[in-house]
Amino acid sequence: MSGNTPTRARLRAIPAAARRQLRNVGRVSFGLFRRRDSRVVFAVVTVVYLGTYLYAITDIAIDTSAGFSYSMPVADPLARMFEPGPGQFSYEAIAFIELGVITWVFSPLNTALGLGIATLVGVNLAVTYLAVTQPAACGIGAGSGVLASLPALLAGGACCGPVVAIALGIQMGGVLLTVYSWLLPASVVLLLSSLVYVSQKVDPTAV
Amino acid sequence: MRTKSRRAFLAVAGAAALAGCTDGLSGGSESAGEDGASGSEASTPTHGEEPPTSAGNNAQDGGGEQSSTGPGDVAMPLSESAVSLSYELPALSADAVSGGPPKDGIPSIDEPSFDDAAWGDENIDPADPVFGVTYNGVTKAYPQYILVFHEIVNDTFDGENLAVTYCPLTGSALGFERGDVEFGVSGRLVNSNLIMYDRATDSWWPQIHPVNPDGELQGQKLSEVRVTWTTWERWRDTHPETNVLTEDTGSVRRYGSDPYGAYNPRGGYYEQDGTLFGPRHESDEFHAKEVFLGARTIDGKVAFNKDTLRQERLLETTVGETPYLAAHHEALDSAWVYRNTEEASVTAVTDGYEGPDGAVHAADELPLESVNAFDVFWFSWYGFYPETEVVA
Repeated sequence: MSGNTPTRARLRAIPAAARRQLRNVGRVSFGLFRRRDSRVVFAVVTVVYLGTYLYAITDIAIDTSAGFSYSMPVADPLARMFEPGPGQFSYEAIAFIELGVITWVFSPLNTALGLGIATLVGVNLAVTYLAVTQPAACGIGAGSGVLASLPALLAGGACCGPVVAIALGIQMGGVLLTVYSWLLPASVVLLLSSLVYVSQKVDPTAV
Repeated sequence: MRTKSRRAFLAVAGAAALAGCTDGLSGGSESAGEDGASGSEASTPTHGEEPPTSAGNNAQDGGGEQSSTGPGDVAMPLSESAVSLSYELPALSADAVSGGPPKDGIPSIDEPSFDDAAWGDENIDPADPVFGVTYNGVTKAYPQYILVFHEIVNDTFDGENLAVTYCPLTGSALGFERGDVEFGVSGRLVNSNLIMYDRATDSWWPQIHPVNPDGELQGQKLSEVRVTWTTWERWRDTHPETNVLTEDTGSVRRYGSDPYGAYNPRGGYYEQDGTLFGPRHESDEFHAKEVFLGARTIDGKVAFNKDTLRQERLLETTVGETPYLAAHHEALDSAWVYRNTEEASVTAVTDGYEGPDGAVHAADELPLESVNAFDVFWFSWYGFYPETEVVA
């Protein structure tokens, strides 16, 4: 019985440890907005990632002949925007927007999803930036948040999901389809894990 | 060509054996007849008053449940399939895999909008593929660059409802009479081929072998309509009065940016020798995406190589013990397939084909029994019909 005591104590300590970790993540994440340099890193990374994500799922594209226009050919946009789209975790677009050299098939939910992931990537990278610029930081690579964000870029697919497989010239088996369908949630989990890990490397009092 | 009133009459009279007897015998380009063999088989058109409120859930649950709807309850023309398979029909359901998108994730066009040929000239490259349909006195073109995002158009031809369908992965375009029922994209594939579902019974209908593989409608077959795969320039020159499907589809898509590749010129998936999903039967006798004109009838299945057809113009073979021939239509770069039971003499001449009556006919107007034929990639045709006759 006495041998179980440390185990129980450890188990009881988990919620407290988790709360500590969350508090730490929160402090570091909000703290990065107090510094101009980390704010810039966050903003640049978030915007670039969101653009890359929307490009990867082909919601935006480069078109040098595009001008400036806006059209909403969908009959009931509020209902339509919640309908599933052709890719995993993709939703129907409701408007077509031309912005100079960019054309945007605008799906509110795709954009919201992309923005959520982009924010996670932005926080990851900004906290990583703090960690590597703090003198006491060690054992952390600047690329950890970037690696965690890659699955989400693959997750969208243009139409019918397996577009990546076409590009690679490979056959979609059941396993690959399953892996494909889990890329985006896996990416979110990886980004959250990465954030917890990186936050441990930062001195919260220094931000 | 059948009309709704004729189908209704036949359903009431129960004169199933009479149905289809006059279909397609003219060799024209409209209704393709039962099982592709015009007038060769008995059919059982079914035309109920109301679609059922609940039925099988093939399209929702992967085909596990049986439909509780009988053929007589379904408001679309169906017939008993007479095309045999070298495997059990339910295998088409068991082999079905997710193509990635959910049910209706690829939205069918349910309120299509059309314009005239001038719109087509402004918006479609002359060499871009279109799918042409002439039915009930109406001629329409469906640009491939639009259908690649929708796969199914629930359309009407002067009061007659048709579904015009296209599967990008198998390079096949087919039309079906749909009665009062709409079709949607199930999100599932078999031999890489689109599996449609009907919105009355939720039953599955593979596009290339449009026979319900399980449920109460098992063995029932959709009634086919000829769809011609050609280019915009060829279709417009042959049918200057044509209507053209426009981009006003009710959906926002990046039309003109084919997610799979390109046809003008060929590229991406459409020219790769590999396939995205493994077919049930594989053959490396030809390039996976080699285009054949496929036809399946009560006699068997036959595939004519399209390149060989272009060169030879007229190809003849025997399916089972029945002679068949395929005549190339140069203006459309397509071909029509005929069941030549009388072994009539047909010869390719300068401006057409000299038929048994001594007159010269266009490829689509030979006085023989026309059977439906359609363009299809080799790998998928063989995946469905490994016992096929091949003319190459």
